[in-house]
Amino acid sequence: MDERLKKEWESCVKCGLCRSVCPVFRELRQEPFVARGHISLLSDFIKGNFDFDSEKSKDYLYKCLLCTTCVEACPNDSGTDIIVELARRRIVELHGLALYKKVMAKILLNRNLMDLSALSANVLSLFLFNKNVNTSRQSASLRIKLPFFDKDRLIPPLAPKTFYNKYKSYGENPRISIFPGCLINYTYVKIGDAFINILHKLNIGYIVEKKASCCGAPIYFSGNFDDARILAKRNIDLFYDQSIDYLVVLEPTCASMMKFDYSKLFMYFDDEEYVQKALKLAEKIIDPVKYLYDNTNIEEKLKDTGLTVTYHDPCHLKRTQKVKNEPRDLIKRAAHFTEMKEADRCCGNGGTFSIDYRDLSLKIASRKIDNILNTKAQVLVTGCSACIMQLSEALHIAGHDEVKTLHTLELINQSLKGG
Amino acid sequence: MKFDYLKDLLKERFLDEKIDRLQYAYDATQKIYLPDCVVLPKTTQEVSRILSFANQNKVPVVAKGCASGFSGGALNVAGGIALSMELMNNILEIDLDNLIATVEPGVVNYDLQLALKPHGLFFPPDPSSWKFSSIGGNIAENAGGPKAVKYGVTKDWVLGLEVVLADGSIINVGSKNVKDVAGYNLAQLFIGSEGTLCVITKALLKLHPLAQASQTMQATFNDMELAAKTVSDIIKNKIIPSSLEFVDHQAILTVENSMKAGLPTDADAILIIEVEGSVFQIKEDLEKIEQICIKNGARVKIAHSIEEEESIWLARRSISPTLKRIADGKLNEDIVVPRSKIAEMIKKTQEIAKKYSVMIVNFGHAGDGNIHTNIMYNTKDKDEEEMAFKAMDEVFNECLKLGGSISGEHGIGITKQDYLERQVGKRTVELYKQIKLTFDPNNILNPHKMKL
Repeated sequence: MDERLKKEWESCVKCGLCRSVCPVFRELRQEPFVARGHISLLSDFIKGNFDFDSEKSKDYLYKCLLCTTCVEACPNDSGTDIIVELARRRIVELHGLALYKKVMAKILLNRNLMDLSALSANVLSLFLFNKNVNTSRQSASLRIKLPFFDKDRLIPPLAPKTFYNKYKSYGENPRISIFPGCLINYTYVKIGDAFINILHKLNIGYIVEKKASCCGAPIYFSGNFDDARILAKRNIDLFYDQSIDYLVVLEPTCASMMKFDYSKLFMYFDDEEYVQKALKLAEKIIDPVKYLYDNTNIEEKLKDTGLTVTYHDPCHLKRTQKVKNEPRDLIKRAAHFTEMKEADRCCGNGGTFSIDYRDLSLKIASRKIDNILNTKAQVLVTGCSACIMQLSEALHIAGHDEVKTLHTLELINQSLKGG
Repeated sequence: MKFDYLKDLLKERFLDEKIDRLQYAYDATQKIYLPDCVVLPKTTQEVSRILSFANQNKVPVVAKGCASGFSGGALNVAGGIALSMELMNNILEIDLDNLIATVEPGVVNYDLQLALKPHGLFFPPDPSSWKFSSIGGNIAENAGGPKAVKYGVTKDWVLGLEVVLADGSIINVGSKNVKDVAGYNLAQLFIGSEGTLCVITKALLKLHPLAQASQTMQATFNDMELAAKTVSDIIKNKIIPSSLEFVDHQAILTVENSMKAGLPTDADAILIIEVEGSVFQIKEDLEKIEQICIKNGARVKIAHSIEEEESIWLARRSISPTLKRIADGKLNEDIVVPRSKIAEMIKKTQEIAKKYSVMIVNFGHAGDGNIHTNIMYNTKDKDEEEMAFKAMDEVFNECLKLGGSISGEHGIGITKQDYLERQVGKRTVELYKQIKLTFDPNNILNPHKMKL
């Protein structure tokens, strides 16, 4: 394994500071659920003193949101996220993957299969979902018990037409390429619509590369490095030679995966050629809001929508991509902004975490809900569709359907429309 | 099986798989000693049963809070039971009539502060680990912190304790009374006893009203001696800041490298000074301190927002963990000398560093004479390691010559036990042993710490 990765666990001095910031530890209060504990296990594993053969290792290592709050707080920059992922890789080797994660990997590896699954799910949704679709949340509860989802879980229905089906490249000599991410491609197409509308209003051309694969994050985060590597390679090959200034990745988690985790993944496989390619491509990867903020005069075109809003920092936007002030600056021009307490505390979604540990996930979300409600905002704005899915459900459970959720791009689009 | 009784008693709160034992095997010394099992009691009764079982079977028991100690107090050096107090983490009462909080030992210091704040109160002991260390651990190690210069250390803020003795009996020592002279002052004996005499299960803590206002300033010096003189001058002028911290050149470089907090990397030393009191009082104090600093050649920066203040303190609190960037080995000492001797002591450490060709990083609580002397070395270089230990030996000697102590707040544990007798004398160490035998005849409580 690449020497560069070793620093990630060798730099831990066991001070315990991560205990004061971890959202999971805040609920469970035991060493196995905090970065210091995870790092100690992985170091012992690398030294050959320990193996993740215990059944408990799954519980201990999968109960991590990969929110990187500990990475941000660590004075020594220990990379707990990669440590957890490496431990999970070993767990997968020893215990195998959960069935649904295996199926997920198969589907995500194949775009056609994905489209087909989405299409059939769309048709099936007539009988899968209850009729009482929650229009304010654009989601519905399940009618029957599915293997991996709780029945009362609110799930946003799949869009009738995917992002890739809806849009193609536009403009002469476009300088940006758009990577929507699966959640926006299949479900929250309206967020993609908002970005496309903004680009048209600003007269900016773009490329929609329909051959793009899933970024691989859900697979990689599960500890399935081999399949994640296939997807990473495919995407790098696809975008590496594209003559663009930016690859605008709409989902922060996908962006974070492609910008920071791809290189580490190839470091793990000692694949130096792709480490370098990943690092090079990383320079072009950008969040859409940051792209607009840095490269256009959008702030001059925003009109007050009259809404009172608060903002939640998505983990993979604020902590990994360091995008924190840009959305706030734009939101302040589009609405009345009130900052919530602990705006950057993880919403508790964590991808498959919210499926595997739903109660814990909702408990973490409920702390967030209190902070949101205290601001008296009408709208919760955030820059990540997974956060929107999680927090809109938590708001619904708390009986606060009156608080709406919007993606930053949707608010910007509305604000431009008003002008 | 050996621990069946504990398993039946605690069910899923009894852990003996390797994956669990490994995670209760270390503390901030980074040394690793595997316990045979881990228990997580929720009540004093359970602690009592665990201890009486251990006493009958002569199994070592090491009580631990959040495992953030620097002297190895929470390590199971002889195996046995790791007794994690973390699930006993309730704040039982905040008595506003008497300004006393009753807490379980697993309460994190900072969580208590958050609970007290709305009442306009705080608990003054504030070790740098306050956001993640437990009150139980703070008491067992008699922790100090930046505010010690004004408010003293943990022992000054504990009125009473409920403890479980080695045989399982539960006793209460001290009380809610401010004045209470009945019998020996056992509470004070237990504070700082590092888990060798009893297990703390409840604590009565004195609280203090929050100051109306506070302000922090940073004074930058080109000469360490002038910084040390400034400390003496401030105290001589009868101003007691709520914190008076110093950071030496090497520590500034290290933390700046890691945090990019905008510290002056050309400086020889920084003083961080916080004053508390009425708005009027702090203005007056700050002006006086500023004059003293300027007279001693310092550049002064006063924090005017909470963010500025927090960034100054974050940098200070991050020094210790970031030292790893210099070298992977460190002898993390917390010597203390009378505050008038600080400049002399720092100078000695610099001479010692030169003599043994090791790097020594100094920072700490100038206001109370407590200096964190960190001797850095490469663990893979045996010669360098030997030199580091020789340097430490000499640092202790010089410190004792100046009338100091080998530990101001970390405790003795395993890391400093070989030097304890040098400070307190042979007869006193004998007394310690007799006291230990009285409380714990089978030596099950945290054995092999403090040479016991």
